[in-house]
Amino acid sequence: MAIFEVDHLSLHYLTRFGQKIHAVTDVSFTMEKGKILGIAGESGCGKSTLVNGLMGLFIPPLYPTSGDVRVAGESLMNRSPKDIRENVLSRKVSMIPQGAFNALNPTRKVKDIAADVMSAHMKGIDKSHIYDRLRERFDLFGMDTNKVLNSYPIQLTAGERQRSVIGISTLLNPQMVIADEPTSALDVTTQKVVIKLIFDLLEKGIFSTMIFITHELPLLRHVAHDIAIMYAGEFVEVGTTEQIVFDPRHPYTKALMGAMLSAEPGQRQRKPTAIEGAPPNLANAIQGCRFADRCPAARAECKVNKQEIRIVGERQVRCDYAQ
Amino acid sequence: MFVIGIALFFGTILIALVGPVIFTITMERVGPQYAPPGGRYFLGLNDLGQDYISLLIRGLQSSLYVGFLAGIIATTLGTLIGIYGGFKGGWVDDFLNMVTNLFIVIPSFVILILISSSFKEGRSLTLIGIIIGMTAWTWSARSVRAQSSALKSKDHIALAKMNGANTLKVLLVHILPYLFSYVFMVFILQVASGILSEAAISMIGLGPLDTVSLGTILNQAKNTGALGDGVWWAFIPASVIITVIVFALYLINTSMEGVFNPRLRK
Amino acid sequence: MLKKYPTLRYILQRAGWYFLTFIVAVAINFLLPRLGNNNPVDIIMGKAGSGLSTEDARQKEEKYLQEFGLVKVSNGAIVRDAEGKPIKASKIEQFGNYLKMCSVGDLGTSFQKYPKKVIDVIKEALPWTIALQLPTILFGWIIGNILGALAAYRRGVFDKIFFPGALLLSSFPFFVFGMLLVYYFSVVIPWFPSMGGYANDLVPSFSFAFFQSVGYHYVLPFFSIFLILAGGQAIGMRSMGIYELGTDYIKYAKWLGLKENKVLAYLFRNAMLPQLTGLALSLGNMVGGALITEMIFSYPGLGMAILTAIQNNDYPMIQGCTLLITICVLIANFTVDIMIGFFDPRVKAGLQIGKGK
Repeated sequence: MAIFEVDHLSLHYLTRFGQKIHAVTDVSFTMEKGKILGIAGESGCGKSTLVNGLMGLFIPPLYPTSGDVRVAGESLMNRSPKDIRENVLSRKVSMIPQGAFNALNPTRKVKDIAADVMSAHMKGIDKSHIYDRLRERFDLFGMDTNKVLNSYPIQLTAGERQRSVIGISTLLNPQMVIADEPTSALDVTTQKVVIKLIFDLLEKGIFSTMIFITHELPLLRHVAHDIAIMYAGEFVEVGTTEQIVFDPRHPYTKALMGAMLSAEPGQRQRKPTAIEGAPPNLANAIQGCRFADRCPAARAECKVNKQEIRIVGERQVRCDYAQ
Repeated sequence: MFVIGIALFFGTILIALVGPVIFTITMERVGPQYAPPGGRYFLGLNDLGQDYISLLIRGLQSSLYVGFLAGIIATTLGTLIGIYGGFKGGWVDDFLNMVTNLFIVIPSFVILILISSSFKEGRSLTLIGIIIGMTAWTWSARSVRAQSSALKSKDHIALAKMNGANTLKVLLVHILPYLFSYVFMVFILQVASGILSEAAISMIGLGPLDTVSLGTILNQAKNTGALGDGVWWAFIPASVIITVIVFALYLINTSMEGVFNPRLRK
Repeated sequence: MLKKYPTLRYILQRAGWYFLTFIVAVAINFLLPRLGNNNPVDIIMGKAGSGLSTEDARQKEEKYLQEFGLVKVSNGAIVRDAEGKPIKASKIEQFGNYLKMCSVGDLGTSFQKYPKKVIDVIKEALPWTIALQLPTILFGWIIGNILGALAAYRRGVFDKIFFPGALLLSSFPFFVFGMLLVYYFSVVIPWFPSMGGYANDLVPSFSFAFFQSVGYHYVLPFFSIFLILAGGQAIGMRSMGIYELGTDYIKYAKWLGLKENKVLAYLFRNAMLPQLTGLALSLGNMVGGALITEMIFSYPGLGMAILTAIQNNDYPMIQGCTLLITICVLIANFTVDIMIGFFDPRVKAGLQIGKGK
């Protein structure tokens, strides 16, 4: 059974002047237990907005335009913020934010922040129970549990902070965890530790699925089972990691892979190519394919006809002309 | 908001400058004691029969003068100390910091009283302006230092240093332009504070001995019991003017803050 | 050993620094009035010496000289030169005399209230000042900050009205506001008395009537300080609150689904720290402003004492009061510093890790 389902989700912002900015358009995917979906794309492609939507956090000026998001069959749409806060956040869907250092309240010890999460979602448990459970959980993380729990964020190393954040975010065993650039601020060794930890937790069933957002494509290769490529608020291609990396179909995906430095045999001679141009302004209604301006394979029709997702087997490709 | 502030402020400056042209200023006795507002003298007369319009305009000029003087001194002093300390760092910074902290903690009000009371004659506006300026600089020094030490680690400064520019040149050419807007905001607040300090010190009788200022007007009003007798024109106009000036300056400062820290706007 | 208790180390460090400041303050307190190079005794003799015989005048003058520490003294008697005239003490010796007197709590004798000692006048006035200023500053700070935090969190209509209002309030000089309050609530609508700490015909006692009178006289001075203080704090806190609201940890707290109260608590606790620092910095100003307010209301505290002292050229009085005010401010600052140390783990951590920049 799919843990997480997204059905043609579209989100928009309302500016002060009543303008609608279509930040996310027609995103669909499903996630099974034990799978990690990587989402990659340029900055400004709508990843952060999507994340808010996936958590059910439709806080003005962000509004859902259409579509559905379901966690274990339960929809996140049309629910009160209080409901989302109490029942969804941290319990069903949880987020590991970018930049763990700033995410932790500097004047609060790690154990207190974690305790806050528990007491916000579980009624009537007592303190000692909280700390026991905390210790149990954090023992899995390969750090000096006592030291970390009793420290202020400023006293921890970057790696300890990132792991603490992961611990806090997964404390209540959410079904789905969204990790936003969890390793970008870390050195390579610590990165490995963190990624191993993620796999560990996944295996132990602490959480069931994960969305891993990053702009580092090589990283996704090692981490994700499936990859979705996002551009200008749309998913332009979705498929397994193998398919995306070795057999990209959409022109943008191809260009992205071409922009990557690769250590694969036979690929070393290839020079990385940058993609010219910039993403379109999403405040205006866009005719035709959003990538058309920068697409090396663009045809006249591309600027006119809106590209819908074509489902080819397990894959989605948003280009009529992809091979 | 900025507009209102600027408008108010320039309004008062206008009064100070143009006033004497429109109204003939006279310090002569023109009527009975505490004559209520009426006719030509629409702001009433004080306890010596002097015209309040004249008094207020003169007072406004004095207060503005002292405010600006004190503001300039305090800002210059504070900025120099702050920039130097913040930029140099190390023991220079520590030392300047200590001195600044010293002066922050010892109430400037106290120092003002002590100095003013020791000058039994020769208390002029200028002297008071200087004294206020020399006690109010600490706050500017703190703020500017924070900014300057943050800037110090910026790349183009390091570049300039690598190219061998000496400290003074780096300070003037590279850092100051960045800080300029900040220093300007500091200056505005210092002027406001200067005006307030002058009014305060005059209120308690340690004001200028040779001229009228808004503070001395209020001092007179209090000493002659105008307060209790309901002689509102003795102190309300002066109070209003002081408050309006300060409010205008605060508005200007706040709106400038909004420019530099956009989150403060809507 | 000290390394094990960072808090203790912090306290001791601050205490040491404040002691140093105290010494500087005493020195300043001594030096500044003597800047004008005028001999206060001459001025006083100008007033007090009229109508006295030459001999009486000379004796009086010498008495003042001695009390002021302006002449050399040994074993309590004035050292005289060949002609029998008192030898003037050097500045250093004057300072020494001053310190000696201070250390026994003798701040000199007041002129206007002669032969009352300065310290006695201060003892009478100090409780009034503390009773007025302490609650005012405390409440003004607390309530101002709470309102400011609320304004930052809610924004909207509340903020649009609140913010300019608070700004306007903070623009009033303390004494101006005091005067306006007196005018409206004492003269125009005679609800509250305009002067004094208690009704003129009452004598301080533990009677209900007395306390009631004190209460009445307390209201206007209290509000004239409190409102302006609260306004200023609210403005600052609002800015801090708005800034903190945009921080990552608040966003994360919301993402985690923490209760709104918790998020507000996070916000308040963290925004309060710079406000505490600000308190330490502006304590001096607050006390000064409150003193002026006392003067407006003829409130029998240190403010009035200084005012009458100034008006009467009562130098010992002025000096004594300023010294005491400085001491009070130093103590208050020290207290706030300690509180900051307790509340901000970053300060404590800074001491543990060492001065890493």
